[in-house]
Amino acid sequence: MGNQIKFTDVMAGRQWRYFRKDDLGAFENTYTAEITAVHKLTAVENLFRIQIVNPEDRKNFTFQPGQFVILELPGIGEAPFSVSSSASRHGDLELCIRRVGSLTNYLFRLERGTHVGIRGPFGTSFPMEQMHGENILLIAGGLGLAPLRAPIAYVQENRNLFNNVDIIYGTKEPSQLLFTYQYDMWRADDVNLHIIVEKGDPSWKGPVGMTTRILEDIFTHRNSEYFRKTYAIVCGPPVMFKFVCNKLNERDIPMQKMFVSLERRMHCGMGKCCRCNVGSTYTCLKGPVFDYWSVMNLKEAI
Amino acid sequence: MLFRTLKKKDLPRLYDRLSDGNRIVGPTVKGAEKDGKAIYAFEEISDFNNIHLDYTSTKIPAKKFFMPFRETMASFRMKGKEWDKMVSFNMNSPLVFFGMHACDVNALNKLDKVLLGSHYPMPYYAAKRKNMFIVGIDCIPQPYCFCRSMGSDTALHGFDMFLTDLGDHYFVEILSDTAYNFLRQITNEEPAESDHARYMKVAAEKNRKFTAHVDTTDLTKILDMEFQADVWKKWGDQCLSCGTCANVCPTCYCYGVDESVGLDLSRAQKTKLLYSCNLIDFAEVAGGHNFRPESHTRLKYRYYHKHRGFVEAFEESLCVGCGRCGESCLAGITVPEVIASVRGEES
Amino acid sequence: MAETTARPKNFLGVPVAKPKVAFIELSSCEGCQLQIVNNEATLLDFLSLVQVVNFREAMTEKSDDYDIAFVEGSVTRKDEAEKLRTVRNNARVLVALGSCACFGGVNQLKNRFDLDWVKREVYGNSFIDTDKAQPLEDFVHVDLRIYGCPIKKEEVEKIVTNLVIGREVHHPRYPVCMECKANENICLYDLGEPCLGPITRAGCDSWCPNNRAGCWGCRGPADDANMVQMRKIMTEQGFSDETLIDRLECFGGFKACVDNIRKGQLK
Repeated sequence: MGNQIKFTDVMAGRQWRYFRKDDLGAFENTYTAEITAVHKLTAVENLFRIQIVNPEDRKNFTFQPGQFVILELPGIGEAPFSVSSSASRHGDLELCIRRVGSLTNYLFRLERGTHVGIRGPFGTSFPMEQMHGENILLIAGGLGLAPLRAPIAYVQENRNLFNNVDIIYGTKEPSQLLFTYQYDMWRADDVNLHIIVEKGDPSWKGPVGMTTRILEDIFTHRNSEYFRKTYAIVCGPPVMFKFVCNKLNERDIPMQKMFVSLERRMHCGMGKCCRCNVGSTYTCLKGPVFDYWSVMNLKEAI
Repeated sequence: MLFRTLKKKDLPRLYDRLSDGNRIVGPTVKGAEKDGKAIYAFEEISDFNNIHLDYTSTKIPAKKFFMPFRETMASFRMKGKEWDKMVSFNMNSPLVFFGMHACDVNALNKLDKVLLGSHYPMPYYAAKRKNMFIVGIDCIPQPYCFCRSMGSDTALHGFDMFLTDLGDHYFVEILSDTAYNFLRQITNEEPAESDHARYMKVAAEKNRKFTAHVDTTDLTKILDMEFQADVWKKWGDQCLSCGTCANVCPTCYCYGVDESVGLDLSRAQKTKLLYSCNLIDFAEVAGGHNFRPESHTRLKYRYYHKHRGFVEAFEESLCVGCGRCGESCLAGITVPEVIASVRGEES
Repeated sequence: MAETTARPKNFLGVPVAKPKVAFIELSSCEGCQLQIVNNEATLLDFLSLVQVVNFREAMTEKSDDYDIAFVEGSVTRKDEAEKLRTVRNNARVLVALGSCACFGGVNQLKNRFDLDWVKREVYGNSFIDTDKAQPLEDFVHVDLRIYGCPIKKEEVEKIVTNLVIGREVHHPRYPVCMECKANENICLYDLGEPCLGPITRAGCDSWCPNNRAGCWGCRGPADDANMVQMRKIMTEQGFSDETLIDRLECFGGFKACVDNIRKGQLK
């Protein structure tokens, strides 16, 4: 056996560390995290509070509003979820999740105290710092409020850094409205909150229609100076952000000042499995947050 | 790069040295087609005489040794509400690859870019790639080979040594000190001027033998322009959505992850399965929305990724022109024909 | 076949009940049930996952108190239809086990012929009570199908595990070629053999092609199976429509496709 070639241990001297993106230790690095609370939001949506167990890792875990994590249930599967909580809470995450497939169905059966795996954070984020000193339109349709909640938290925590702040949120029915318990708090933080549903119920007092209706209403009261200094974050189904972004564009808000979050099938989150590709762009690396100009240039995005 | 020559009769001695303590993989005959043509495959070799260095092309590429079709990524030990995760890269000893063509070496070089050279390098691939000693071998272009169009007909790096047949001896390119040390153990010579001349003549002869071509001029832009072209629909109608092209492709790396629970409920496993963008549920999300429900949109995406997206990211396409996909496609869909048709050059 | 080994009572903290299961056969060879019992290596684990209360092929006790019923075979008589309805009423989950239960299976081949002729041909002058062979879904609602002739033991174990822990069961939606290539088989067409791998639902791990036998489509069509192209390929490779139809008809899963070919509508 005199000619044995030396074996290379690719992980020798390396640690499992997510934040070193170019290190082999980043791949398949899973944080063990615990479900600390489950908050029922609607008939099909829960807010899961998930905390990275190791205190050191929890503190070192940082993310930006708009980024996502991959949640793994051993033996059941893994899927991407945008973080719904304030980035200042580090590895003490809130994920707003709809029960819709095999993984989420199982997740909804888990009790407090159960361990899950968290990988990430992954992807691009909303460039909040770039928006300092400007007006901001935070627009969500349906479950789109989940990814929007991290930038909302950022705005609340840094309210002094923004001028006019509007949250425009629409769902199909009143029963589908998420985070209703927070609306008063948002308003108290000097945020204009506009809520609209496509179909009201007997108790519904608010406006009925599409989110674009709200935009039309509030735009009649805003002058050209406002539009010159406005950023927009739009989260929701592609058909919705297409209409909304076109509305914003009519007011000469540049497409590069509108940001959307795309949803795709994803397995790895790290630009390897190709499942999330739009055209030939990895949503997990170049997205999920794109400015609308980039979306316009992506094949098969909308 | 260092060059040496090696007498053909001494090649078995090189094999003996390499196999002394190392596992060897090489091209061998797996069966015969109905017309008698040999079917080649890369398999583990235990006898030099079973290596067929004059092989045309294998049906299944070398990637199976670098990226197995199915691979366990992690296993879990379940403990009530808690669990332990164990990760293994599934490579424990070096492997010698004896007889790889330039296209397959270049395929690995392309995979290196995305799997090793980008953010989040993949340790499962790295563990295998870094432990593979590769002996390249020159080849004779087959009717389906268009590697020259893709710039993959010669390999500049990504191997340890490369052999070119000059008649009674091999011209040897040496790229690693491991290769140098192995070669030192057997008789070899400094190439003479006549060997250089002979090498160039062999290369020129090889170039004349190519019959399949792909025009890649402005291809990224043309693909953008022709995104809505009807021609995709035609190919989509033919496509079986069976995934064969991706499985026989030396550069396709897309995958899916499948998690499963052990029968005794105390274990679970996370398995990586090479997937194909032509399969119906490739882009389907939870809840059932499918971003590419029709076969032509999936086939088109495949070409976009290979000939546009990868070029955008790495300045080269994700296709080496080995022609395996076209050879294995029962519906007869070949890259040269698809690209020619998109360029409006349909015959 | 009582409770044997101890096992965790939960998965990820979610309680796992031990369902009572019954194996019931209609007109069939009982080969699928045999598949369940003939893998000794995992049989004990399998039996610790479920409580078998009814399994004629493997035990003498019988009970009609069960949660999951695995029904093998096709319906060929009135009394079988009745029996199936009773099973449906008893079971929370009714699983069609194997090609006969899913599509009629090999049994349904007789549906092509005049029934009296079939009876005379097979049984001569002795009386036999038999009608058309039909899949379970023609009579009752089927919750889950396990494809194959016979079923693949490993696949059944996976499906049953998922059923027990309450995880959704998904079949592969792509064709057999995908698994066949992963198994590095030589394509049957290269060997000059017909094969329905390109259109048949995977999940069998390309069992037949692994043994150099072409696929006969026992698992029925894959999602979006390209029948038109399959027919072209068969023709190009020198196989007649009759060869194609013989294969497509064998297990009943491609009935719609065969009807289309016969009507001249598959072009």
